[in-house]
Amino acid sequence: MKIYNNYVITVASLLLLTTVVLAAIGANSLDVYYTFYVVEALIVTELYVYFKSRARRSLTIVSAVLFAGFMVIVLSVALKVLV
Amino acid sequence: MQENRDRVRTDRNTYIWTGLGLLIVGVILVLVSVLILSSLVWLTALGIATLIMAFILLALARTIPRVTPEVSMLLLETGIDNIATIVEELGIRSKPIYLPSSLTGGRPQALIPLHSNPSLPKITGALPRRFIVRYGAGPDDVGLLVTTAGTVAAGMLESTPAPSPVPLESALTSLFVGRLGAADGIRVYAIEPGLRVEIRAPRIQGVDTWTHQCLDSSLASVVASIAAEAWNKPFVVAKEEQRGRTYTVEIEAVE
Repeated sequence: MKIYNNYVITVASLLLLTTVVLAAIGANSLDVYYTFYVVEALIVTELYVYFKSRARRSLTIVSAVLFAGFMVIVLSVALKVLV
Repeated sequence: MQENRDRVRTDRNTYIWTGLGLLIVGVILVLVSVLILSSLVWLTALGIATLIMAFILLALARTIPRVTPEVSMLLLETGIDNIATIVEELGIRSKPIYLPSSLTGGRPQALIPLHSNPSLPKITGALPRRFIVRYGAGPDDVGLLVTTAGTVAAGMLESTPAPSPVPLESALTSLFVGRLGAADGIRVYAIEPGLRVEIRAPRIQGVDTWTHQCLDSSLASVVASIAAEAWNKPFVVAKEEQRGRTYTVEIEAVE
């Protein structure tokens, strides 16, 4: 399953690189890290259009969970601004 | 077969155990960061990244194929060798013509004419679903209607591609790269008088096999069958060759 391995290595490398870069520039908010992680994971998943449909369905569930976490961050920031 | 079953379990377990391992590591990293190190942000983030990878691996583990590539090759080679033996014993010199499902009454198959003819046979109506079929009015218009790798591969596609090189390239990439894991990439070019398909780093044997002397390679048969479905016309393999890491197949429509 070479395409699975390529996908996993790509996502893992991006997440690790993001952590290193954001830590190096002194990012001090967990929201920023998480937002970058979610956006990267969603983009890479979309780029792998040639996954079979079953794999895509499984990854869609993971993407939905990640996106839900992202929405929680957005809502909490919005609430802070409003209150 | 027991060994093959064990291999399947091993492949699945690689993803499952890696996913579970990352899940535990991610939870530990987050807890250590929050409870012991007073919310060290980058360490908490690393823990979250590890948890994301764990979820991805566990999601993919559910979709690993149940049959290993070795078992698939075993079944494929057995079937092709049997057909090649029949073709060789009958002294057939004709190359297969890949027919779309509309001409075979079900799924795309290959017709091997029993008698060589300088001009390729023109098939207008659906052939009966039998092994030995009559495809024309002439006394020599008899051939073998065989199932090839392309027959099964065409059934794996979610939809029939449009009759153009770009949709064909997309369908073949989806099949060879995404579904079968049998190549690294596909390129389709329109050439005169047909199509040239370049398969990068194929993991199925091509021109050097014995069966290739009697039939086209499995790669070529898949390409020709999918093209036949897309154009809804019979196709033949005009040429196939290995150039470095790229396997090139040239196909032509039978008008």
